[in-house]
Amino acid sequence: MTALPQLLISTVLLGGIYALIAVGLTLIFGIMRVVNFAHGEFLMLGMYLAFWSFTWWGVDPYFILVVAVPLFFAIGLGVYALVMRGVIHASHNVQIFTTVGLSTALQNVALVLWTGDFRFVRPWESSVVVRILGAAFNLSQVIAFAVALLFTLALFAFMKWTHAGRVMRATAQDGEAATLMGINTDRVYRLAFAIGIACVGVAGVLVSPLYSVYPTAGLQFVLLAYVVVVLGGLGDMVGALLGALIVAGVEVIGSYVFGSAWKEVIYFVLFIAVLVFRPAGLFGQRGAEALGV
Amino acid sequence: MRRHALAVGFFGAAALTPLVIHDGFFLDSLVLILMWGAVSGAWNVAGGYAGQVSLGHSAFFGIGAYSAALMATRLHASPWLGMLAGAVVATAAGLVIGYLSNRLKGPYFALATIAFSQVLLIVASRWRAFTAGSEGVPVPFRPGFWTLGFASKVSWVYLVLCLALAIYLVQVYLERSRIGYQLAGVREDEDAAQALGIPSRRLKVRAIAASAALTSVCGTLWAQYVGFVDPFYVFSVDLSVRFALNAIIGGVGTAMGPFVGSLLITSLETTLRAVFSDIRGGLVGIYLIIYGCLLIVVVRLIPQGLVGWFGQRIRAARRYARA
Repeated sequence: MTALPQLLISTVLLGGIYALIAVGLTLIFGIMRVVNFAHGEFLMLGMYLAFWSFTWWGVDPYFILVVAVPLFFAIGLGVYALVMRGVIHASHNVQIFTTVGLSTALQNVALVLWTGDFRFVRPWESSVVVRILGAAFNLSQVIAFAVALLFTLALFAFMKWTHAGRVMRATAQDGEAATLMGINTDRVYRLAFAIGIACVGVAGVLVSPLYSVYPTAGLQFVLLAYVVVVLGGLGDMVGALLGALIVAGVEVIGSYVFGSAWKEVIYFVLFIAVLVFRPAGLFGQRGAEALGV
Repeated sequence: MRRHALAVGFFGAAALTPLVIHDGFFLDSLVLILMWGAVSGAWNVAGGYAGQVSLGHSAFFGIGAYSAALMATRLHASPWLGMLAGAVVATAAGLVIGYLSNRLKGPYFALATIAFSQVLLIVASRWRAFTAGSEGVPVPFRPGFWTLGFASKVSWVYLVLCLALAIYLVQVYLERSRIGYQLAGVREDEDAAQALGIPSRRLKVRAIAASAALTSVCGTLWAQYVGFVDPFYVFSVDLSVRFALNAIIGGVGTAMGPFVGSLLITSLETTLRAVFSDIRGGLVGIYLIIYGCLLIVVVRLIPQGLVGWFGQRIRAARRYARA
């Protein structure tokens, strides 16, 4: 079993990145009770941000994070005000199709502006090999994991120890009660959406050296993020972390055993199985209750 | 008769058009309007009448397209037999997915159906020995009715018109019949429906299976018309969204909604394609941007769709006239 350390460490590295994508999604769901079908498109925009700043100015993707965080936070605020705010109390179907419409529009804005070509970001880190316990990884992967972990931990700390975080958790638990306690839930939703989008935008920048960049790049990640989030229980942030590790493990071990062509089938089947047998997730119940599953 | 005035006008106009206009581009648009309207009508059976909003209906469309194409290329079988085989497979797939996702609601159901269509996409594009993989399958053109090969667009207009009419009538049946009222009950309040003794789970599964079979038939005809089956198109999420989109814009759970939606969206698409194709390939995406924005605006402002909205206006006007 010489492959074992490679598989384990790959799982952890990949899991860290998936966690950052999924945490944003589950945060938005947990607080707003809206499933964001356009989540992957913000990831795609993050990838393009990294691609263009690298191609035009030669800026390393990791430096562009300084811009990406406020930029995607602002995009989140804007999209909330324009699109999400009006549907937050609407029926499931209205919410589903609003975010689906947003996803279609954003994908094709990218298609029209930047064509459907597959593009690549190759900073110098991509060609540096790092050895951990005899297993080999490229430096981009390690940095992406470290930064993703940092952001995820920062978000957890924010939710736990700041006043705004406490207000957000209160709203997630019971929106009506929070309103009665004088919490301006509209502001909470706006903040949650903006933070969720900032997380996924950062994740987009981080994964840009590892995957090709194209207008529908978000789709594969968002489907995967849903697998993660449903596994962990929609709205459950700690669950999302564990879900991310499980999905990363399935992907890494699945592509080792069956070949990378079939790894997607494995996690989609896993996804359907979880939806069917444990729709509330492996650990959680909270999100599912709200949807009446 | 007054209830069907819109339908008579729509299908009548579609039937008369080929007698007057012989322009190939226009007739092609007409075939597509009827085709996408028919698929959306098939989607509406599950998504509108039963309230099972699927975003994976391209799975069934692809099953229909592949069944006929593969049977024609491998076995030299008639596409009609392929259509039948596709419908049987799609019904089975609909029963399975309907049964498995029976307890799921709203976003969960949509996610499960997306995952299902993605599994089929991966299988169709990777299982080279069976499906020819990501290259797709060219559908052989053999002239004649039994082999579904028509060189003239006029024949296609009437063939697809028959399909569209059949699907319209299925929807009308769902508006009038006992089973239709039961489905409406399940859609509006499943617990209450169950309390009244309506077998809600069985009904939902059946609605999905019927919707799947109809969608698959549309898929077969589409593949025969276009002459090529591309796995990344027929199983795409975009296609599933398109099926839902027509119905939503026209009016979910109304028999004419999908056709009105398709008339608007498909003519918008063909017009914009014609305008932008001369300029630059990528600009074709502009119509999809409009799609997306239209979808956001319509579900926000008139969630009942155009047919529903006009229906309300007309009823209100009548009430006003009587008073």
